[in-house]
Amino acid sequence: MTDQSATFGAESESNADFGEEAVSAHDGPTLELRGVRKEYETGGETVVALGGRSSEGDELTGIDFSVAPGEFVAIVGPSGSGKSTLLNMLGLLDEPTVGERYLLGRDVTTLDDEAQTNARKEAIGFVFQDFYLIPTLSATENVELPTIFENDPEATERARDLLRRVGLGDRLDHTPNELSGGQKQRVAIARALVNEPRVLLADEPTGNLDQDTGAQILDEFRRICETGVSVVAVTHDPQVTEFADRTVRLVDGVIRDRDADGAGSDVVDVRAGAGENARSESEADR
Amino acid sequence: MKLDRRFPAVLMAWRNLDRNRLRSALAALGIVIGVLAIATLGIFGNVLQLSATNELGAIGNQVVVGPNQDAGVTSLNTREVETIQQLTSGRGTAVPLISDGAVVSNGRGQSFATLYGISTPTALFTASEGTLPDRHRQGAIVGSSLADRLDLQVGSIVDIEGNEYRVIAVLAPTEDISPVSPDDGVVLPPEEFVSDEYNQVVIRADSGEAATDIAASVREQLNAREERVTVFEFSTILDQIGEFFALLNSFLLGLAGISLVVAGVSIFNVMLMSTSERRGEIGVLRAVGVQKGDVLRMLVVEAALLGTVGGALGAVLSGLITAGLYYFTPVTLAVALDPSNGLYLVGAFVFGVVVSLVSGLYPAWKAANEPPVEALRG
Repeated sequence: MTDQSATFGAESESNADFGEEAVSAHDGPTLELRGVRKEYETGGETVVALGGRSSEGDELTGIDFSVAPGEFVAIVGPSGSGKSTLLNMLGLLDEPTVGERYLLGRDVTTLDDEAQTNARKEAIGFVFQDFYLIPTLSATENVELPTIFENDPEATERARDLLRRVGLGDRLDHTPNELSGGQKQRVAIARALVNEPRVLLADEPTGNLDQDTGAQILDEFRRICETGVSVVAVTHDPQVTEFADRTVRLVDGVIRDRDADGAGSDVVDVRAGAGENARSESEADR
Repeated sequence: MKLDRRFPAVLMAWRNLDRNRLRSALAALGIVIGVLAIATLGIFGNVLQLSATNELGAIGNQVVVGPNQDAGVTSLNTREVETIQQLTSGRGTAVPLISDGAVVSNGRGQSFATLYGISTPTALFTASEGTLPDRHRQGAIVGSSLADRLDLQVGSIVDIEGNEYRVIAVLAPTEDISPVSPDDGVVLPPEEFVSDEYNQVVIRADSGEAATDIAASVREQLNAREERVTVFEFSTILDQIGEFFALLNSFLLGLAGISLVVAGVSIFNVMLMSTSERRGEIGVLRAVGVQKGDVLRMLVVEAALLGTVGGALGAVLSGLITAGLYYFTPVTLAVALDPSNGLYLVGAFVFGVVVSLVSGLYPAWKAANEPPVEALRG
């Protein structure tokens, strides 16, 4: 075990304190990537998923990205632009080939699997496009899922509170197939929040929802940000950018433009990108 | 229903199995059949062996010493008989006997019978009618079949080679295999025989070891210079019978073992299918912070649960079949309830659980080690 893994391992005993303590000790970004590049081999070729070349074209570059506490960042870009790779980097699900990453000021660039898992459990919540709820478990049990393999007697109560907070107080014991898409996504959000994370990572959170339901989910994200939790959402949905504080546009693994205060002049651009994405998505993925 | 926090792996595993009941039931059925086959065939073989040893019972304690006909010796002389009796004393009884054949008749009919000359009939026989004398000096003791055939009772008179004898006792029918089977015979005092040399000595030792010991020392003493006597130990028959049953048993168990291996393969298959169907879910578990080891445990417990439920059911069914064996066949209660049968039940159950566990290991390991990124990609 590395020193870092030891740190995260030790804190798993009191993971509720982890966030507050870390935030008070650390004023900087919740998550930060410095010069991160991701390459992988496929069919004997090296594919660059994240990162590019300097303007002169002779130097390899990586991505710099950070998200502040309470900030809602939307990441947009065409299919294959590296959005998901970026999210996996931020979520400690994948390792950068080059560069450093920091979670609450701690270097988490290379952790072993156990330490990574602990760090995810303590500081990061995930929301997916397909919800990924376990069909045999009730809403409450699904929310408790991240805690079931440890002795956490308050988890059930916390799960119920969270479900009430996202407006599912009357659906606590329903199984996923008794819930609508929007309700399922709210269960997933509650699940992401059960360990009181400092950052919520969402992969196309509105992708399977209609406009109105999507807006409700995004409202939920805004409320979460107000509690000091950062939200990073990867999306094709222009609606998401309207709710975000900041939109990051990714093209070919490189961040093209940043918009300091969300919406505003950038919206047109994003929409154009989204339209284009929708087409390539239908060709490539579906 | 609330998640049971004490055994989350068991609870999750149970829910997962519950999801596709038919498939889980079929996988468990394989184990039921495998365990049933092993336990039942094992118990059958065991019951056969136990019944046989019960029947054969005491013959392992018996040794018969006779003249070595191959060397031209036709009878045992007095010195030899005394030697044998000395070697036996303290560890059993040695009964010298003369045997011959003759026609036995009374008013109603006649029959050929084996004649035994024995002075101490109580050492070998029990009477069903009349009493056996400690020292046999006069009168005839008749075997049960012969008594039936000639309708003899205590007090009847029989004619053997011109001499008349009063029947003083009728023997109980012999149930055990025994070196001397007097059902069709007549036991007379040795003095009634022309020859005064004995044909054989039947030794009944107190234990199997004593029998082996006595046989060895008789050989050593009497066959030192030339092969005067043949010594036959009945325990060798028992050994051979035991070997046969052991062979039969391992054959049956091997046969049953194949069915359990097949069941293991089916569990392997079911676990592989169900984990690949649940890739996404398992990926989410890993993403939200569940350790590899916990995922592995959950999946192995799934396989083990199939084995435990299937194995328990198989063992219970096998127990019922054993009970049926007791009710519908002449198998005795003592044999049916012998602790060694329970050993087969427990052994088959444990084997079933272990087979399921081992079958679940690879699929579980594979699923737990898949990077969550891959699993979530779908």
